[in-house]
Amino acid sequence: MKKLCAALVFLALLPAPQALAHKVIASVYASGDVVEGEVGFSNGDMASDATVEVFDDNGNKLGETVTDETGAFTYKPEKAVPLVFKANLGAGHVAQVRMSAEELPEIGGAEASSPALVAAEAAAGAAEPASSGTVGATAQSSGVDLAALLEAQHKMITEAVQKQVIPLRRDIDAYKEKHDMQSILGGIGYIFGIFGVAFYIAARRKMTAA
Amino acid sequence: MHIVDGALANDVVIGGAVLAAGGIALGLKSLTAEKMPAAGVLSATFFVASLIHVPIGPSSVHLIMNGLAGLVLGWAAFPALFVGLLLQAVFFGFGGLTVLGVNTLNIALPAVIVYYLCRRGIASNSLTVAAISGAIGGGLAIALTTAFVAIALALSGDEFIPAAKLVFFAHIPIMIIEALVTGAAVVLARRVKPELFATFNRSAAEEVAL
Repeated sequence: MKKLCAALVFLALLPAPQALAHKVIASVYASGDVVEGEVGFSNGDMASDATVEVFDDNGNKLGETVTDETGAFTYKPEKAVPLVFKANLGAGHVAQVRMSAEELPEIGGAEASSPALVAAEAAAGAAEPASSGTVGATAQSSGVDLAALLEAQHKMITEAVQKQVIPLRRDIDAYKEKHDMQSILGGIGYIFGIFGVAFYIAARRKMTAA
Repeated sequence: MHIVDGALANDVVIGGAVLAAGGIALGLKSLTAEKMPAAGVLSATFFVASLIHVPIGPSSVHLIMNGLAGLVLGWAAFPALFVGLLLQAVFFGFGGLTVLGVNTLNIALPAVIVYYLCRRGIASNSLTVAAISGAIGGGLAIALTTAFVAIALALSGDEFIPAAKLVFFAHIPIMIIEALVTGAAVVLARRVKPELFATFNRSAAEEVAL
């Protein structure tokens, strides 16, 4: 009996990888020209070495990627279509998260689609003739450089904003997973309410029958 | 233990829903006015128990308490556990609405099986026999649930043996805990409210006879 108990305890302690930890969570966000994402369980365990498959809205597979030990993955999209990320973590745990076309990161060569950048370029174009008098030849001859400069600046701003926003997004994701006392009590209240109504109906039926 | 949306094949989801609907219909038939308050309390117990996480090794699992629900309610465990699962899906996103049928079946059918296997022991004159029957019922319900989860996954294309192993071993501690809790609950009920199991079993037996 003792041996059996010890064996059971040993088996229980065997790392059943992420077995039924709990609800799966997944989040994705654009970062530079790639999509960054995380897959894990709501108790904070992240899913390492999980294969994340990428589909479009029609279920066509676009590609796949693997998470690192912190459950994070990156994927470089090639087409401006909504992406669906799916990861099967085993034992009935499937994470799925969708990224709409507007949220997509910039895809190489398609920067013109960004309205902010177009506006910035237009402004630069307008500023150029005005400044040509003083700054002179350098600015005019480096029109191409200016565009490149703007692009670099735009990239820098995007990166800076993302750096600020990612922790916020994580906080929001964590907040969404939090179940507080209110919802637990609310659930118990609903249950008693449902059974209370059922009891009322049953009691009425009994009284009319009697 | 909550299988999430998208993890199962469509026919498994539909089959589970049909079978669960049948179980709920049978359960509602046996849910007499006398049983209703107990059903509400056990439904709430299940609802809250699933929020209690037990950390084991790198992962964590949660209590289920379907054995106790089955022992007290018999077929009425189906509607009681269904309500708990429904509210968990709505409030906390455990599982999902499409897989509600399969999840109900996985949790409630073991409860009913345990009821038929252990009800005689529970009603036994000896308190020790009743306690042991309760403990067996509590542990066995979890074991059966893990088997049903593995079957649902196997029918959807996963390999049965690894899936079953993963779910089963992760739940051994839960089986032990629930065996202890259910055994203690049976002893308590027998001491404080000795007519609880006897009354319910008699009324259920009458219905079967009808």
